[in-house]
Amino acid sequence: MTRDINQTIIRIAEIIINTLKLEDVTPQAFDADLDLVDEVGVDSMDLATIALVLRDEYGIRIDEDYYPKLTTVRIIAEYISNKLTSGE
Amino acid sequence: MTIAAKAYKFSEIIADPVIGARWEKVRRYFFLRESTYDMSNRCNIRCEGCYYFTGDKQFAEENRDAQAWRQLLEAEKARGITFVVLAGAEPSLVPELCAACHEVIPLGAIASNGLKKIPPAIAYRIHISVWGNDQTSLAIRKAPDMLYRQIENYQDDARAVFVYTFTPINIDEAREVTELLARHGLKITFNMFSAPVGYSGPLRHNAETLARTEQVMTALLAEFPETVLFSHYNIMAHTRRQGLHELFSCSYPRMNPSTDIGLGRSFRQYRTNLQWDRDAACCVPDTDCDDCRHYAAGSAVVTARMYRHATDPLTFSAWLDYVDTYLAVWVKGYAKGANLCAVPVAPPPNHEPLPR
Repeated sequence: MTRDINQTIIRIAEIIINTLKLEDVTPQAFDADLDLVDEVGVDSMDLATIALVLRDEYGIRIDEDYYPKLTTVRIIAEYISNKLTSGE
Repeated sequence: MTIAAKAYKFSEIIADPVIGARWEKVRRYFFLRESTYDMSNRCNIRCEGCYYFTGDKQFAEENRDAQAWRQLLEAEKARGITFVVLAGAEPSLVPELCAACHEVIPLGAIASNGLKKIPPAIAYRIHISVWGNDQTSLAIRKAPDMLYRQIENYQDDARAVFVYTFTPINIDEAREVTELLARHGLKITFNMFSAPVGYSGPLRHNAETLARTEQVMTALLAEFPETVLFSHYNIMAHTRRQGLHELFSCSYPRMNPSTDIGLGRSFRQYRTNLQWDRDAACCVPDTDCDDCRHYAAGSAVVTARMYRHATDPLTFSAWLDYVDTYLAVWVKGYAKGANLCAVPVAPPPNHEPLPR
């Protein structure tokens, strides 16, 4: 489970880096506990875009009113993991 | 139009070269973060149904110190605001304050009645309000020759967009106004009268006037594509029986308790005394939220709901048309593309509205 979460974290970091065209950071070096809004500068449209890419990648629907609460890579990874486990 | 139930991936939708190009065009402006500012508590006309002169914001003291405004805008810029909307009551009466704002945050728009020209150095978009032909304007706004004077002030001015507010009594006048503006090479977009709280006068829309407005907007969009900045999805979003909040859940602080991200976190509506109140903060304070179909509200509320529109190419194209229109109306120099979606698309189902 831990290994799966870590893989998910790296993949999510990669998606965020690609979506936001971030430079000078690798998925492996991306701090999973950084606050995406306060510390990375993600805004609502960025987060909506990331949510759509995650929907493609994992085949899960992220509730529109919930994705603003997905404020760190770790929280996103845990959310996805729970969704996949529960089969929603 | 009802959309087929095939599940599309977002990557499939934007793989279409036309949709993909428009997506890349609009997403470059996702950095825009707006707040609005009442610049003056005075106006040189007094219109029936004016939302500014409803509620207590009209009684806020005016701060006419340009340095104080400059400091406010510096603080706004520091907290991430990149786009300002200068409004109520009439910003053209305080050009020195508008200039101070422009010096600090260069992107923005001014809502004006257009009777006093705003100095060209203030390079914001300028929205000039039109409430019908001059006969109707005289009756509703108590000002003569409004269109004549507005056109004289803003002929050949690339900042200008005329905003035609549809009310139940001016629907059929939209054609002559659009024709006139087209002859002068000017641009027009459409707004819907949205009743202030407690207003029960003749300007409040009903089912019949909403339907007639939809027909007229559709005809004008088809006949004047170079003049009318609008799309079929704008028409659908703004002429439904339901208001914007019921259709999309308004994301302005007044109706949105969340401070996690987006407008609920960053938007403020400053009064003339440079104070703001989260409970009242939206782009048209003191408007009856159930009746709100205001163009400024839609520009933020519909645009923010990208996720729910990314279901299929047609629905996403409709949303892209809306965003392309929003940017063309609000951002000086942004060129509107041809609408991608030529048919009316129903807004996607809304979630439960956020609690008030």
